[in-house]
Amino acid sequence: MLTYVARRVLISIPTIFGVATVIFLLVRLLPGDPARTIAGVLATPEDVERIRQQFGFDQPLYVQYVTYITHLLTGNLGVSTRTGAPVTEEIFTRLPYTLELAAISTVLSILIGVTLGVIAATRRGTPLDLLISGLAVFGLSMPVYWLGLMLIIVFSIEIHAFPAAGAQDPLGFVLPSVTLAMFSLALVARQSRSAMLEVLGQDFVRTARAKGAPLRTVLVKHALRNALLPVVTVIGLQFGALIGGAVLTETVFSWPGVGRLLVDSIFSRDYPVVQGVVLMLAVAFIFVNLLVDLLYAYVDPRIRYS
Amino acid sequence: MSIRALDTADLLSGLTAPEFGAQTARGRFWSKIRRSPSALVGLVILGIYLLLALVGPLAAPFDPGHDILRDQFQSPSTHHFLGTDDLGRDEFLMLLYGARYTLYLGFLAVAIGLGAGLPLGAISGYFGGWVDLLVQRLTDVLLSFPGILLALALVAGLGVGLRNVIISVGISSIPIFIRLTRASALSIRELPYVEAARALGVPNWLILLRHVIPNSLAPVIVQATLQLGAAILVAAGLGFLGLGVQKPTPEWGSMLGEARTYIFTDAKLVTLPGLAIFGAVLAFNLVGDGLRDALDPRLK
Amino acid sequence: MPIRKLAFLLALGMAVAACGTGTSSTTTNATKHGANLNVAIGIDPDTLDPAAQTTTTASQVVDMMVERLYTLDSNGATQPQLASDFPKTSSDGLTYTIPIRTGVKFSDGTAFNAAAAKQGLDRLLNAQTFKTQPGVLSVIDTVTATDDKTLTIKLKSPFAPFVAALTQTNAAILSPASLTVQGNTPAQVKWPVGTGPYVLKERVNGDHITLTANKDYWGSQKPNYDTQNIKIVPDDPSREALIRSGGADVIVAPPLSDLPALAQDSSLKVLRAKSDRTLQIIIDTVDTNQPLLQKVEVRQALNYAVNKDEIVKNVMFGNAVVLDAPMSKTLFGYCPVGSNYNFDPAKAKQMLQAAGASNLTVKLGSPTGRYPQDIKVATAVASYLHDVGVTVQGPQTSDWPTYLGHVNVPPAQAAFDMHFLGWAPAYLDASQQFEQFRPDRIPPKGLETSYYSNTTVTDLVVKAGAEVDQQKRKDEYCQAAKQVWTDAPWIFLYNQSFPIVYSAKVTGVGAFPNEKFDTRFAAPA
Repeated sequence: MLTYVARRVLISIPTIFGVATVIFLLVRLLPGDPARTIAGVLATPEDVERIRQQFGFDQPLYVQYVTYITHLLTGNLGVSTRTGAPVTEEIFTRLPYTLELAAISTVLSILIGVTLGVIAATRRGTPLDLLISGLAVFGLSMPVYWLGLMLIIVFSIEIHAFPAAGAQDPLGFVLPSVTLAMFSLALVARQSRSAMLEVLGQDFVRTARAKGAPLRTVLVKHALRNALLPVVTVIGLQFGALIGGAVLTETVFSWPGVGRLLVDSIFSRDYPVVQGVVLMLAVAFIFVNLLVDLLYAYVDPRIRYS
Repeated sequence: MSIRALDTADLLSGLTAPEFGAQTARGRFWSKIRRSPSALVGLVILGIYLLLALVGPLAAPFDPGHDILRDQFQSPSTHHFLGTDDLGRDEFLMLLYGARYTLYLGFLAVAIGLGAGLPLGAISGYFGGWVDLLVQRLTDVLLSFPGILLALALVAGLGVGLRNVIISVGISSIPIFIRLTRASALSIRELPYVEAARALGVPNWLILLRHVIPNSLAPVIVQATLQLGAAILVAAGLGFLGLGVQKPTPEWGSMLGEARTYIFTDAKLVTLPGLAIFGAVLAFNLVGDGLRDALDPRLK
Repeated sequence: MPIRKLAFLLALGMAVAACGTGTSSTTTNATKHGANLNVAIGIDPDTLDPAAQTTTTASQVVDMMVERLYTLDSNGATQPQLASDFPKTSSDGLTYTIPIRTGVKFSDGTAFNAAAAKQGLDRLLNAQTFKTQPGVLSVIDTVTATDDKTLTIKLKSPFAPFVAALTQTNAAILSPASLTVQGNTPAQVKWPVGTGPYVLKERVNGDHITLTANKDYWGSQKPNYDTQNIKIVPDDPSREALIRSGGADVIVAPPLSDLPALAQDSSLKVLRAKSDRTLQIIIDTVDTNQPLLQKVEVRQALNYAVNKDEIVKNVMFGNAVVLDAPMSKTLFGYCPVGSNYNFDPAKAKQMLQAAGASNLTVKLGSPTGRYPQDIKVATAVASYLHDVGVTVQGPQTSDWPTYLGHVNVPPAQAAFDMHFLGWAPAYLDASQQFEQFRPDRIPPKGLETSYYSNTTVTDLVVKAGAEVDQQKRKDEYCQAAKQVWTDAPWIFLYNQSFPIVYSAKVTGVGAFPNEKFDTRFAAPA
């Protein structure tokens, strides 16, 4: 078990290194002079040049790369070219907002999704099942931002129930969380349903029911536990879609999270922040996947040897 | 990852096991599809989309130079089936042209994913060893950029525009096909008749081509269909952020993103492209689900 | 001396204006006091350090906290702020003696004096200051605090609009004592402390900036809200949603298409403030790919081909004024050219034919989302050109930095035959507008992306740049402008307005003609 963990962690290191290199090269491929972008249209050529030197854009590429990697090894993600603040500060002041949305929407999607999925599985073939399955497919197909816009129109403008933008209002998290939860919810519902169906069809369940155990006991004591594992996997893998969804949701709701930071930094050619955010998200993704795999390996001995 | 290996092995054994009714795997497949109403609905929607995308624009040629500014924001009428947009252009026409680009984008992106992912995954799973290790690390790096993040990062590096969006979305689709094909290849490699072929001295590339790849196709096809929907969503997301397909090329995502500013003036400019995206993705998801159900004996 | 006369006239005008607008000491109703004002803007200020300002959005937040020697009033005229009067200028135009206002304190209690003013300017000119943008102020040679109340500035060469240039936010003066506290260093200031009516209280990056009133503000007008909460909302319909749902009291730049509807709403007021920003299609006047564009007649024809009134009405929704000169009316040195390029497609076709350009093909570029309706305007222009037989490829667009990278290049690398761009002088002087019409500003030396060159114009502009006589300056710019108009290096489009929407429960919301709003002295209605 420990060797498995150690092996997985060791393998992550070159992956992270690869990610860092890829993103470093990618942002430098981007057309446009970063110094001029920072300085603005009215700046004199001297002002532009001064900025270029202050940020080290005038250095040759390999020098910039070496500086980048050595700083990375000490946990230094550099300084934002837009604000001058350390990238770590930029990210960590905004991370709580994204985590807030992610946490709430994950909780929502688990609670509602699993419930719906289980109901659909136990009522298989009935109109209720069809409705839930139908809603799930709908939820998976809807563009996240479109849903967000619709929610703003109904709940912010027509009914002044929730704020249309920003995080200051205590109720500001409601609409973005609901929007973000939609995709995960649908996926979890479907996964729960199919996992549940599979378990319900198994012999040991039939045996338990034949012995006279009530459906509810069977569900909770046996079926649910076994069905939850694939669901957990999906939730872990869902982390990726969550990030993507967060980027769009935060843009629609002007939510000051990491997703919006990423988009804004791309537009303002803030290389260090783009590198930092992407790297951080990639590392988080690797970490979450590792956790999920560990959980699975812990529960299901067959997996360990693959 | 390992879970998928188990799934696929069962899938394959399901395909070769005899059943009542239709005698061939293909026959059974089609009878299952026919019995699934949702898949049929999906196919019908898809058919309509394809028809409109191919035929529609031919009926009315797109002319970016003809905006009639006086006809802005019109409601649906006999003259303009869905009304006009902010520059006086016929909205239905814009959507039809958008269909072309959006579907074209989706298919091409998935083609890139398949084209690179399928052979890489097959080789990786079949040969194992350092080839496998290398491909796996590459896949890890790509997979570490979840979905839209990878597309965002690529667009950040390559710049915006139709071609780069296709490349970005395509590259972000590769890892999942590598993983799927690799899982299949891993189990096919152990099958007795493959071992026999190897023992007989059949060259590896022939084995790959004749046995490994064709037998991996089932889950891959399902994923490809679902990936079409995902690709469209990612591209539309990029367009919404202003990083996707640029004007004057119409694409539903960018149409939606641009129409955001008109949400109070004329909400249909926001609702309609959104519905169009939604319909296409829904259709792909329904068909994909139907395929998966038809190919997976356990669920029926 | 002419400067003295001008100073007197301006001071007189200021006194008249002050009586006209009614300051708090002379109004019959007492100015009400409010708890909080919510203002929504569209960009998260990158930095609040005055020296590093590059956008007006960020500058206007800084302006509420930090003040300068001179400032612009709502008509764009230069007024003393932390200076007590206009400067005395030496006859060679190289030395400015500025009287400093006494009895003013920074919000941290430090006294404001000439030494503090010197420190502010020195900091701007110091190459070590992070992202510092001195711009034209690098013409300053030395700054000396001759005594507590006098500041003497020596220039390297005569610079006629120097006092106007001092109104830029980069010349704002921070409290010297604040440079080493609260995370500030002399090279990089994150928490600005100034003499302004508001003080920074809290900042959440990307979400909001909260300011509290400076109870000891020195000015005759006082802040009337305990706090002003500036929300960062990049999405224009979201800002509109905020003001319609009560989440904001003042917003900037809602979607233009909604301005008529918002104006109808009795609970809201719409202020279409004057702006100095001109928007135009810049033509590559030395185009080797399309040499026909080098001909004046062709460029003039293109000007006749575009229906600017319709663009203003239907694409800008009335939120602009068609240009009648190569600059906005708000600039010092503006004069109406006298002739217009009225919409006349027949004439355009005729002129094109006469010049041998009946089958003209051009590549048009435009940014997206940089200026209101930018890509839509470019698309409309393309369709008008199409109507007179010009084949237009595009408008091709990309995000702003990429676009800038395509147009801000030497002539050999120009990516487009014509491109859409806006230009907004920071201190409302014609000299800044003429940066667009002189060949010594061709990239990389500047941003003259039309590569236009006319020695008459250049000579006039250079002369006016050092001209001490203000009337002569105006005449020189007027002459130059008329020549530029005839040479048509641009398809002259419009001067956009700067829309501000605010709740009817608020009064005293103003604006400056360089696209800054002014809520410093706003009050409940």
